[in-house]
Amino acid sequence: MKRGRIELGDVTPHNIKQLKLLNQVVFPVSYNDKFYKDVLEAGELAKLAYYNDVVVGGVCCRIDVSEGQRRLYIMTLGCLAPYRRLGIGTLMLQHVLNYVEKDANIHCIFLHVQVSNDGALDFYRNFGFEVVETKEHYYKRIEPADAHVLQKTISKS
Amino acid sequence: MDPSNQVLPTKENSLFKRILKCYEQKQYKNGLKFAKQVLQNYPNHGETQAMKGLTLNCLGRKEEAYQLVRQGLRNNLKSHVCWHVFGLLQRSDKKYDEAIKCYRNALKWDKDNLQILRDLSLLQIQMRDLEGYRETRYKLFELRPTHRASWIGYAMSFHLLKDYSSALKILEEFRKTMQKNTYDYEYSELLLYQNMVMREAGLLEEALEHINTYKESICDKVTSLEIRGELLLALNRPTEAEKFYRVLIDRNHENKDYYLKLEKALELSTVEQKLALYKDYSLKFPRAHVPRRLPLNYATGEVLEALLEPYLQKCLLKGVPPLFTDLQSLYDQPGKAELLETLMYRYLHNLETCGRLDPSDESSDKEPACILFVLMYLAEHHSHLNNTETALKLLQRALDHTPTLIELYIIKGDILKRAGDLLGAVDAVTEAQTLDTADRYVNSKTASFMLSANLIQAAQDMCSKFTREGVSAMENLNEMQCMWFQNDCAHAYYRLGQYGMALKMCHQVDRHFTEIIEDQFDFHTYCMRKMTLRSYVQLLRLEDVLRSNEFYWEAAILAITIYLRLHDKPITDVTFENDINTVDMSPAELKKYRARQRKNRKAEERKQEEKRKEEKKAEQKKKQSGQDDLENPPQEELIPHKLERPADPINEALNFLRPLQALLPQRLHTHLLAFSIHLRRNKPLLMLQSLKRAWSVDRDHPELHTSFVQFLKYCKDSLPRKYQAPVVTPAESATPVPLPSNEQGSNKPNPTNHHHPSNKHIKNSKDNKNNNKDKNQRKNHHHNHQNNIASNNTENCKTDTNASTEIIAPTKPSINLEEEEANFDAQEAVVVAIIHEVMTSLVGTVDPVKLNEDFLNKNNESLPHRLQAARSMMFLDSVQKQRAIGIATEIGDHIKGRNLENLQTVLEWLEGLECEASPEEILRFKSQSQKLFPRAQIFMSELPQSHTTTVTTTTADGAAALATTTAVSGVITSVAPSITDDEITANCQQYDEVIVNHVNHVDG
Ligand SMILES: CC(C)(COP(=O)(O)OP(=O)(O)OC[C@H]1O[C@@H](n2cnc3c(N)ncnc32)[C@H](O)[C@@H]1OP(=O)(O)O)[C@@H](O)C(=O)NCCC(=O)NCCS
Repeated sequence: MKRGRIELGDVTPHNIKQLKLLNQVVFPVSYNDKFYKDVLEAGELAKLAYYNDVVVGGVCCRIDVSEGQRRLYIMTLGCLAPYRRLGIGTLMLQHVLNYVEKDANIHCIFLHVQVSNDGALDFYRNFGFEVVETKEHYYKRIEPADAHVLQKTISKS
Repeated sequence: MDPSNQVLPTKENSLFKRILKCYEQKQYKNGLKFAKQVLQNYPNHGETQAMKGLTLNCLGRKEEAYQLVRQGLRNNLKSHVCWHVFGLLQRSDKKYDEAIKCYRNALKWDKDNLQILRDLSLLQIQMRDLEGYRETRYKLFELRPTHRASWIGYAMSFHLLKDYSSALKILEEFRKTMQKNTYDYEYSELLLYQNMVMREAGLLEEALEHINTYKESICDKVTSLEIRGELLLALNRPTEAEKFYRVLIDRNHENKDYYLKLEKALELSTVEQKLALYKDYSLKFPRAHVPRRLPLNYATGEVLEALLEPYLQKCLLKGVPPLFTDLQSLYDQPGKAELLETLMYRYLHNLETCGRLDPSDESSDKEPACILFVLMYLAEHHSHLNNTETALKLLQRALDHTPTLIELYIIKGDILKRAGDLLGAVDAVTEAQTLDTADRYVNSKTASFMLSANLIQAAQDMCSKFTREGVSAMENLNEMQCMWFQNDCAHAYYRLGQYGMALKMCHQVDRHFTEIIEDQFDFHTYCMRKMTLRSYVQLLRLEDVLRSNEFYWEAAILAITIYLRLHDKPITDVTFENDINTVDMSPAELKKYRARQRKNRKAEERKQEEKRKEEKKAEQKKKQSGQDDLENPPQEELIPHKLERPADPINEALNFLRPLQALLPQRLHTHLLAFSIHLRRNKPLLMLQSLKRAWSVDRDHPELHTSFVQFLKYCKDSLPRKYQAPVVTPAESATPVPLPSNEQGSNKPNPTNHHHPSNKHIKNSKDNKNNNKDKNQRKNHHHNHQNNIASNNTENCKTDTNASTEIIAPTKPSINLEEEEANFDAQEAVVVAIIHEVMTSLVGTVDPVKLNEDFLNKNNESLPHRLQAARSMMFLDSVQKQRAIGIATEIGDHIKGRNLENLQTVLEWLEGLECEASPEEILRFKSQSQKLFPRAQIFMSELPQSHTTTVTTTTADGAAALATTTAVSGVITSVAPSITDDEITANCQQYDEVIVNHVNHVDG
């Protein structure tokens, strides 16, 4: 049997509610209005993933310049539970990797993952991400409260 | 100069020619300059005056235009130019009949003028003066036999008159003269048109031969094949027809009609034969849908199951959201709904346990969305069977699986709406709308749901997201002839008691139809030039029955209903005060209340006034902006306040009724409404005619029964009518002479029914006995004692209104009243006899009470019948009110037809003018109905808590969009809806709380 069609699409003011809804289901975090306002400005750094024309995934990143360095920070990258392990996460992450590839000033991608989130850790390891740091008590009120910082350095020729 | 001399010297004559040229080239300013020069020396030159007028008309100065053109014409009555110009002017005002007269006059003075003949022919076809059209086309043909249009137009005039042989003769002659190129579309169209005329003439053999002869020259191959298939079927040569339908199916596997025709050609009769055919085609075209769908209509039992399984599985795996819609027609066949339910639950179980539709097929992939579509189907399935709660539960599971599937919210809206939860339905589709604000379909659906819930302002705001900026949504939707919106809006206004606004919408819809008919004008020349002859004839035929369109039907039905109501209970400016219980108020309260009412009214008036001003401004702007809009003369403004205070509501109702009688006689309500109108017009034979027609449409319809009862009661109470002496209006009669004493007695109030609050309309006229046709001929005794035969309903109606005023003052008794009276009585006796005879044959009795009791006994367990029996009872004797209400509101388990629609109709009757039940009675019925339809808002004594916020915010002007936004974002900040899917649940627990650090980081 044929697999469903998977593709990426832009986030626009018309469909931004779908991204909100998706994040609300996939992540426990309720992002505020500013988050979505920025997402609308983020261009290729924010994408929706479609499975047979239905939104099932989304990725939102931003450029981080905090430590004297331009880095890409993945804020959210998620997919509705029934649609996991179909390559949708890969498609979204690949999109981000391609973006970084083209930007000569970015040499590093990083994100936070809860230490217990084995699925996500496995997922990112597949793409060469490594745990570079573990922040204790990064999360409040949930167990475990620690977060790994996952990072991938891009070497450019 | 001799003012009567209308011949200009050379210099001025050449100036005049330049005026003509300027007009043709739309250089109006220059035209006026030249006209001025001529008129300086020859101020009475008629043709110049006329041309100046015509030019001014193009610049929007209509009044001056008419004045000048008339003046010009007076100065030169023998000028074809003056007459032609006058015709053009009238045409620009859509006064086509007048324009035709002008053109005819113009032709008197210049009988071979091509331009005038052409213009005349256009008007004639527009007005469907087919005989006149043929004459004019003949003239043009004679004058210009080399022109293609001359031949076509002349032939078509015969075709439209159904003189097929003349039409065909001309077409064949013309065909011979045509030059053929290799790919000649126009020649091809001519051939197809010729063939169409042959088929309409019933010359099937000839048509077949014709198309076989010329098939190479026909460019539209599909049509050519279709025509041959159809001709062969009609000629009873099925084996040959088969060949063509097989070719057509090979070209297009998805045309249902081809398969059905092929069935016919193969003369298949048994289900097995048909199934075999579709099996063949399914194998031949593995991806085609239609050959798989059609056999589901025929198959039953195990065969059906064997066909359904692969069909459903394919659709579920592919994810076809409208699967339920696709299969819904099967639900009318016994056993099929049950089978579908069984299969779907089996799939659900399989998917839940092993992730596959078919657990035995290990090779197949696990399709993640499959279960979603199964849940979605089952939700719709249960909603269709009115299992609202089950449907909602299943739907929630689908939403938990994929909350981003927008269709789910729409289905949720549909389920809730079906259950009567109109506000919940609005919330659901609004959610869908906010998820994809670029989707116009969802936007319209939301607006339409809002209108169902009477949220008119919110609906307009919703639509305004897609309408043109700078004008109100309402205005723009009217410009765009968005009739579904206007009709839905009309109904909402009607439910809210805003009859003026509702009527405005109905009239706007009606005007769209007038406009569409007028827009036809451009096609008369365009289609001839482009040789799209078949489409042109189809267009003409469509326009002929345009108002049979559903949108017109809806608007007309509502408008008639409202006008009848306004007739029964006209709006007086104190009405609304009476509606509110002012009795219980203290004087201070009352004073306050009155002041508030006054203020409200003033504010309302101010608002209306401002709106009117704005509209005027907009109109003026339009006028200045150019010529285009000039072609649409300004129409009378539709002012709600005026519309709901019509001088003659019955005549207004008749205007809406006539197209229905002409175009939709197959619909029961056409005739029931006709009856209701004629009842109020006191026209027994027209009532009888309407009832007979209704009877032949659907003799068992419960509503027809009530009309029968009303009619019999009317006859009993009001027939035979008494003779009324002819009278004159007070203005005409200087010295009124009193009526002879014997006439006075007949002036007693007509006891017909409570629809006639002011029934002084005793007629001084009678219905002619032989008016079984549409025309109600009726003798009218005017003061001059001439018998005026009013030959159509309009005139009749006018005389009716005159009649009431005429009664006031009698005429000089210069006529033999006794003879008149004897005549009248004799005719009236005939009327009564006819009615007696017809009614006995239709319903078996002329006793309304017996008719109603029999009806009730026979249909004692059917809710819609009981309602009609109750209505009838009230009409017969309002003392029976309690019994009637008891009958209509009995909704115990033994009663059939207790669906939402029927219950709602009962409620509307209780609350309406006819019944006016007490608040307690209404409340009792509501709470009983609520047990059956707990979600239906109309049965709630108060709105549920959860909805009140939405209602108040959405109804508040302009806040609709805002309110719904907050509603949705409210959902987002709150806890996620109950989630059953295991994986999601696990995930949620894992990330139970908002992580402050993380959020901070994210926000940078
Ligand atoms: C992480 C996540 C985005 C992965 O998305 P996905 O569409 O399932 O990923 P893919 O199908 O592209 O997976 C690619 C590979 O990653 C690995 N992988 C992904 N999820 C895995 C899991 N739960 N366990 C083990 N390996 C996993 C696998 O090697 C997989 O390849 P395979 O399926 O051929 O074995 C998804 O699980 C998710 O949305 N999780 C919740 C949100 C979240 O935790 N986001 C991370 C923080 S931003």
